[in-house]
Amino acid sequence: MSYKKFKFVRFLIVFFLAMTISIAVSMENVLLAVSAIGIGMISMFLVKKNVKAVLVDEMVKNIAGKSALIAYSITVPVLAVLSLVFMFSDLSHQGSYLYGLGVIFSYIALFNMAIYSIAYYYYRKKYGSDKE
Amino acid sequence: MAQIKNNIKVLRAEKGMTQEELADKVNVTRQTIIAIEKNKYIPSLELAYKISLFFNKKIEEIFEYF
Repeated sequence: MSYKKFKFVRFLIVFFLAMTISIAVSMENVLLAVSAIGIGMISMFLVKKNVKAVLVDEMVKNIAGKSALIAYSITVPVLAVLSLVFMFSDLSHQGSYLYGLGVIFSYIALFNMAIYSIAYYYYRKKYGSDKE
Repeated sequence: MAQIKNNIKVLRAEKGMTQEELADKVNVTRQTIIAIEKNKYIPSLELAYKISLFFNKKIEEIFEYF
């Protein structure tokens, strides 16, 4: 499959997903939404497998890495600050969901930091090790 | 700031190739070839070798560090 054909098929899949999910939301049908996402993911995987053109190369990976670093450096501090603000604004836990939301945000921030640290440690060991 | 220039555009024109054809030969996207030709992206050593092998020239004949 050529790149042009791939772009067209990708558009069709996204269109199908958008339509089905909007219908599922309006009908309040979670099963329909989940199955649409599943079908979309599988068909995208199958289509990508049949594309002969190069879709991801070193420049794309380079850009993705830089973008991921920027996203991480913005997301984690924002989540951490928000979680503190929410938790301290609702210390008495009086009938509001803010404290719970703060706890969830702090866990998400910690989860992000943990994944980053594990990945960083793994790659440092992989590339920085003096073992041959 | 140190920079790397290249003459890929000239070499490609000499061979009468399109950016797409060169991209296919060295297994990258056309956008990467465009960025390299415009000196906006410095290729990895592996890609630089692939390009130099394709044009049958030494790396320093294609890429210039200054």
